[in-house]
Amino acid sequence: MAQPEIHHLFHRPIADHSFSSDRQTLAVARDNLIEIYGKSGQKFALQDELRGHDKTVTGVDIAPNSGRIVTCSQDRNAYVWEPSSSGWKPTLVLLRINRAATCVRWCPSESKFAVGSGARVIAVCYFEEENDWWVSKHLKKPIRSTITSVAWHPNSVLLAAGSTDGHARVFSSFIKGVDERPAPSVWGERLPFNTVCGEYLNSTAGWVHGCEFSPSGDALAFVSHDSSITVVYPTGPDMEPKAVLSVATQLLPFMGLIWTSENEIIAAGYDCAAYRLRGDEQGWQLAGSVESAGRPGMDSHREESALNMFKQMDLKGKVQDDTKLKTVHQNTITTIRSYAGSPERVRQFSTSGVDGRVVIWSV
Amino acid sequence: MSQVNWRTINVDALDPDSALNFDMSTLTPAVTPVSASEVQGLAGQIRQLLRGGDHEGALRGALESVPYGADEKGKEIHLHTVIEILQSIRQSEMSPLLSRIYQSEGGSELLDVLMKYLYKGMSHTTPTGGAKQMAPQATGFSQIHPLRTGDGGGQAMSVFLSWHEKLVEIAGPGSIVRVMCDRRTV
Repeated sequence: MAQPEIHHLFHRPIADHSFSSDRQTLAVARDNLIEIYGKSGQKFALQDELRGHDKTVTGVDIAPNSGRIVTCSQDRNAYVWEPSSSGWKPTLVLLRINRAATCVRWCPSESKFAVGSGARVIAVCYFEEENDWWVSKHLKKPIRSTITSVAWHPNSVLLAAGSTDGHARVFSSFIKGVDERPAPSVWGERLPFNTVCGEYLNSTAGWVHGCEFSPSGDALAFVSHDSSITVVYPTGPDMEPKAVLSVATQLLPFMGLIWTSENEIIAAGYDCAAYRLRGDEQGWQLAGSVESAGRPGMDSHREESALNMFKQMDLKGKVQDDTKLKTVHQNTITTIRSYAGSPERVRQFSTSGVDGRVVIWSV
Repeated sequence: MSQVNWRTINVDALDPDSALNFDMSTLTPAVTPVSASEVQGLAGQIRQLLRGGDHEGALRGALESVPYGADEKGKEIHLHTVIEILQSIRQSEMSPLLSRIYQSEGGSELLDVLMKYLYKGMSHTTPTGGAKQMAPQATGFSQIHPLRTGDGGGQAMSVFLSWHEKLVEIAGPGSIVRVMCDRRTV
């Protein structure tokens, strides 16, 4: 088990982070701006700042192939940033929403991206050649509340969204002229725009923080604020799903998750650590923390010499500094993303959180 | 028209897409309605078990047949049944009993229900003294009121607190979070 690679960037919350495909560039959302870090040796050094949003940036995503960065913010705008000789060139996207944008993700084909918002819509944005402009189409029905997360199916047409109305939904975001007709799957055959292919509620109806398709795209997992993770295996269009498996954990709620293979999920959140879950259509179980697997040096700060102990007592009036968590992250993990490996077998993943750290872990 | 105070118009009510015009019941999990008399009958059965000394069976029975769909009165009756069971179990028996329930099939769900009752019980200042008014909040559960000394509330509260401590040891903080975000209230 390799040691986690810890990059403590600053003492501010990181709303979202994204690596470029060569993993040499890291974009993080910090307050009203996006900071671009470049890898130099073992560290990430600040290279550039993307200014344009005038409220907190909530999402950032780098397209792996084109290198374009999409960002969205509470100021209700999204920008697509393109690299040019004179730095990053922003293009405003017409989102047409009247509440904050909450999350953004490029689809795998990179021809579209989805922006979730507090206006109870998901804006599916694509580039219109004629007008030289990014325009959006709204996924509206039957969303009842703020969208907290969006996730794309490998076919770039199906989109999963988690919402504070407690539902995780699967929509079709098929746009004529942009998408190719998708192959029929368990989610459906004919998929015009805004087809609701699935709508799932777990037993408590807690609001959903994150959702993700399995590598094959034939299963959907979502985490919600009742500390549970639910995995759905659909049978086909207009049929009851084969299995809806919910794991209620003893932990604090998860904020996000990734599938590292068809039978393993890693989820992280308010417990400041990433947890592994294993299972299949028969059932899922929590398989422990990713962190606890013998991290050397974890206890070093607790085993102190007598001299040090008395020194501490003298200085602070107490023996131990109990303000430090035993986990690598010192606050809630808000984003978890795949870092290395193929979608079917993720070898490394990265997390970022409220403590301003970006950490790269081995699975 | 000039008399209309535009500022007091609820614009959300006029917007067909507004949250005010949603049927909110579709957001919550479906619950089957239960009448108060059914809850009363159940309470009788559970008391029978309790008299027979089967504390675990009584607690299990009460938590399995939680009347989510009952009205205020029915829920009140069931709350008193659960409180009666909790008070009849000795402190030393709590942890083994809870871990047995936790390890059984669907046990974690039962303990979540128990946690709901602990919080609901704590929100009543005098749980044994009949239905006192409480302050339900939008979230569906009430805040803990300061203890009124001099009545039975203090003793009942200490029972709840020791159950709460034992329950968190076994079901973890996840169980507390589930009470907060579950839309099915007891």
